[in-house]
Amino acid sequence: MTACERLSDRIPDVARGRERWTAEESAHLAACADCRAEWDLVTAAIRVGAGAPDPRDPSAMTDAVLWRLAEARRSRRSRRSWGLGIAAAAAVLGVIWAGRQSQENTRQPAQVEIALPELEPLETAELDSLLETMDAPQVGTSALDEPSLDDLDAHELEQVLGTLEG
Amino acid sequence: MPDLPGDSELVEAYLGGDEASAAELVRRHSAAVGRFLYSSGAPADDVDDLVQESLFRAFRALGGWRRTASFRSWLFTIAGNLLRDEFRRRKGRQVIPLDDRDYSDRTDPAGELAASEVEERVRQGIASLPRLQREVFLLRAQEGAGYEDIAAALGTTPGAARVHYHHAVKRLKELVR
Repeated sequence: MTACERLSDRIPDVARGRERWTAEESAHLAACADCRAEWDLVTAAIRVGAGAPDPRDPSAMTDAVLWRLAEARRSRRSRRSWGLGIAAAAAVLGVIWAGRQSQENTRQPAQVEIALPELEPLETAELDSLLETMDAPQVGTSALDEPSLDDLDAHELEQVLGTLEG
Repeated sequence: MPDLPGDSELVEAYLGGDEASAAELVRRHSAAVGRFLYSSGAPADDVDDLVQESLFRAFRALGGWRRTASFRSWLFTIAGNLLRDEFRRRKGRQVIPLDDRDYSDRTDPAGELAASEVEERVRQGIASLPRLQREVFLLRAQEGAGYEDIAAALGTTPGAARVHYHHAVKRLKELVR
């Protein structure tokens, strides 16, 4: 280890007043520009730290930190109880859903009943006849209403004709 | 006079529910964390809040403190992480203000101004160092921490910490010259 390296290792402690230079080290420092530059740098860095704004009163700082820690714990507990609540609700829903699934698997195929009160007065024969016509739709007709030009009023008709004529 | 409890004992006591131990830890280390943050480029107005945030994070993560590093060095790594987050949050804008020192009210305006300018250049130089170099330099130069302690806190080896320190010194000498 060179004299400069040895001095470099001791600069922070001497600069902070923990140790003192020996006569030999003082002589080296006086003669070595590089070590002096390092000394100036470290002492300037210490002054920079000393120029930091004064921290808040430690008891106020402690109160603030402890309050935030308590808040964080409360928030974590609250989140945990919410999580447990949601998990419990999900479990209950799961059980209900599973129960329904098993019921539906054992049930007969569903039958849909649609009330058509207007058909109730019809006799059985009339009903059969009507159902036959519904089972076999006429060729060229659709169950959906097709739009017709007859449905349009005069103004709408003019608009359509206008688009056809360009 | 009884020996003062060490940081490790205070941490154990706090974890056991003794809030007075937390107060003692804050009293011991808050100023050093403030020095570290300010020297690393934190704006003066933000230092107090950043110290509080660093301590809050540290107390929440006390289980993560391995006793191989000193409590203070470990605190500095947390403060360093916080500063990095803050820098990212500001989307890379320089955290350090160019002229936030009050140069007035000095007894020797010319001499003090020159000293202040050097300090400001040093501060900006420190802020511009790569993170490991900056943290090693501040732990060593300002706090007088040994390389073993620094290495344990920063997750490196004492030899590597020494190299980082010397690189930081070399770079700062160039920046400040």
